[in-house]
Amino acid sequence: MSSSHVEELHGQAAKRPSFSLGELVRRRPEVITFCLLVAICVVVSIVNPAFLQPSSLIDIGRTSVVMGLFALGVFVILAAGGIDVSFTAIAAFTMYSMTLLVSKHFPGIPMPVIMLMATLGGAILGVVNGLLVHNLKVPSLIVTIGTQYLFRGALLSFVGTVWIMSLPPQMGAFGRMPLLQFQAATGAMITLPMYFIALPLAALLTWWILNHTLMGRAIFAVGGNPNIAERLGYNLRTVHIFLFGYAGALAGLAGIIHVCANRQANPFDLVGTEINVIAAVVLGGARITGGTGTVLGTLLGVLLIVVINSVLVLVGIPSTWQRLVVGSFILLAAAFFVTRERKK
Amino acid sequence: MPENANSDGPFLELRQIHKRFGGVRALRGIDLSLRLGEAYHLLGENGCGKSTVIKIMSGALAPDEGEIRLGGSSYRALSAIQSLSAGIETVYQDLSLIPNLTVAENVALSEQLVRSGGKLARILDKTKLRNTAAAALEAVGLPSDAAFLTTVVSDLPLASRQLIAIARAIATRAKLVIMDEPTTSLTRREVDNLVLVVERLRSENVAVLFVTHKLDECYRIGGNAIVFRDGECVAQGPIASYSKSQISELMTGRLIASERYRTAKSDGATFFTTHDLGRGSSFRNISLSVRKGEIVGVTGLADSGRNELALAIAGIAPATSGTIRINGKDIVIRGPANAIDCGIGYIPEDRLAEGLFLDKSILENEIALVVKQLSNRFGVIDKTAGRRLAEKLSEDMRLNTRNLDLPVGALSGGNQQRVLIGRWLSILPNLLVLHGPTVGVDVGSKDTIYRAIQALAEAGMGLILVSDDLPELLQNSDRILVMNSGRIVAEFDAERADEDQLYQAMLTSTTEKVA
Repeated sequence: MSSSHVEELHGQAAKRPSFSLGELVRRRPEVITFCLLVAICVVVSIVNPAFLQPSSLIDIGRTSVVMGLFALGVFVILAAGGIDVSFTAIAAFTMYSMTLLVSKHFPGIPMPVIMLMATLGGAILGVVNGLLVHNLKVPSLIVTIGTQYLFRGALLSFVGTVWIMSLPPQMGAFGRMPLLQFQAATGAMITLPMYFIALPLAALLTWWILNHTLMGRAIFAVGGNPNIAERLGYNLRTVHIFLFGYAGALAGLAGIIHVCANRQANPFDLVGTEINVIAAVVLGGARITGGTGTVLGTLLGVLLIVVINSVLVLVGIPSTWQRLVVGSFILLAAAFFVTRERKK
Repeated sequence: MPENANSDGPFLELRQIHKRFGGVRALRGIDLSLRLGEAYHLLGENGCGKSTVIKIMSGALAPDEGEIRLGGSSYRALSAIQSLSAGIETVYQDLSLIPNLTVAENVALSEQLVRSGGKLARILDKTKLRNTAAAALEAVGLPSDAAFLTTVVSDLPLASRQLIAIARAIATRAKLVIMDEPTTSLTRREVDNLVLVVERLRSENVAVLFVTHKLDECYRIGGNAIVFRDGECVAQGPIASYSKSQISELMTGRLIASERYRTAKSDGATFFTTHDLGRGSSFRNISLSVRKGEIVGVTGLADSGRNELALAIAGIAPATSGTIRINGKDIVIRGPANAIDCGIGYIPEDRLAEGLFLDKSILENEIALVVKQLSNRFGVIDKTAGRRLAEKLSEDMRLNTRNLDLPVGALSGGNQQRVLIGRWLSILPNLLVLHGPTVGVDVGSKDTIYRAIQALAEAGMGLILVSDDLPELLQNSDRILVMNSGRIVAEFDAERADEDQLYQAMLTSTTEKVA
């Protein structure tokens, strides 16, 4: 009886879904994101060839940075089955406080130190989120709604409400520092700023953490089923603190880049754009229920949203339509993923 | 070698372990010792303390009193990572697999986690992960090629998942593997394979502790029986030295009849028929009939179409071809609400996911089908009438609690099933489809459930009992239909049939004719 039964089981286990396009999409939903992105670019460049100019591509790259950094943080939290809506408040808090600190008290701090401090500050606020989520055992959505108000309220009541229009010189210089510069056919200078490099670096780091460390696998395990993960010996407290700390650090970094890029610090800025970022991550194929998604998908989701935002103007559609388009894409993508899942 | 292990002394010892939950004394002074290379069967009714004791061993719970001796050291309580590092691997009923991770990760991540002492700031050794996983998968008879290693676990059938959980135990070089009701959802063929794997584990000097309700399988595996009752250990010794009825008696403290529950012969008129019912590739050409007061058993292997047939009659996944007649009327079942209107009730296999509102009270669960009748024209529910009804139903079903406001999730499996059956008593359908009514239920509760099923039939209800528990079908039904590859291949008179006949019909391929 023995060998035949084992073979039988072999056969059963080997009965895996055969390779097909549908199967590929189910396993790697970011394929859809990629196709959408390509389709939009093709249509737009036919309607308006100006889109393919280096200047507009560089523009897209530049505007992706802040949203991309936010999205990486959101993705990591989403992968573990949580959600964060406080990251914009963290960014606003750290960017404004840092700018104020540098311009009022320590004008001589070099730029790398400013960035490090902002990142660290963001991480600390993120850890507060993590501790609250872990100790209160309350869904992270509720906790981060609370802390969003808290961080923003603290910023506006204790730190300041005045726009800072002239940045400390080292921050302004950093915002203009070129990574790549060339002359376009029209004679205008086109610059890809130095801060752009932060996005690919952060993406690489995030990818490495998620795929090549035990912490990364623990994050996905917690996203799959937190109770089982705890039973298997994964320390949920460590995972929660790391998750939110990491997302907070990325938010802090994004905040300071946002200030340098815009050459002003507005304490009322950023908060309110959370949904845009979460939409990008979900469009990138990460399930809102956690445990899935990839860094590449997240970046594609961000690009998709940024392209939609900038491109509609190029093809002559009023920018007010942007929300309509993004909304329909999200619903379409969601419907698509769900039907694929049911067919399984 | 078991002989060597015996001379080394026990691997794990529990001494005078006590555990209370609020006012409930779950464990009252448990003494246990487990030796390497031995098989143990932890037996007992639901709520006797079995799960508490395995949670203490695996470090998920801390005892209130007592001592745990493990690998020469003494502990007051174990942490999950301490227990794992010492080589205790628990395969819970839910298998503790992470659904979104790959096979390789589910098998071999634990080993890296244990080696790092639970620290997460470690680089993942992917080559080692693959190699460890491949070796462990081979040991349990699963494929170990790259395609299988990268398959996501939720895409696999249950039997393979079970073996993956065991492969994880092998990968972490476990010394004691605890399996919580491993065979509940497996077919007989899959159980055979599990038995082989256990033999293999034992020959590699691993101790195996089974927690189970299925006595037949314990006898097949052999080893030692440990019987719990009300938080105390009432017997411990070689399982071969106890008879089945002795063990049942030790577990329940009373004698359980093993003869047929079905005594009355139904002579009611045929009221329910299906003609050439089919749904895609799951089942086809199903023609069956049920008389008033008759219990028709349906069985088959997991992929025989029996589950799909039950779901089709209940309207959850409706049939796509064929006709259904009930009480002389042709009906089309489009959905569950539709089926209920036609007088067809359904008790699902997975009562936790599909049948019960776990965080709602017993009261709310029992009146769920009659809220419309209980409410006045403004939609306000008559709470007193509801409570009276629920009280009556709970009494009929002999629930072991009088507190109807208790959430159903707090009840044992047997009691949950009784709440579910009680709910259908509130509307008395013409036909009730019971799908695996005693899956994961202990001997004592089975007895109550069987009596309730018989009482329903005697009251004139027709029942279809879909189950893979062959003794259950033989004890309870009038006729048993066996399905194989989507068709009904044989029909037996339950009074005269035996398990082997049924089993043969389940396994014979459809190309061969079944007598």
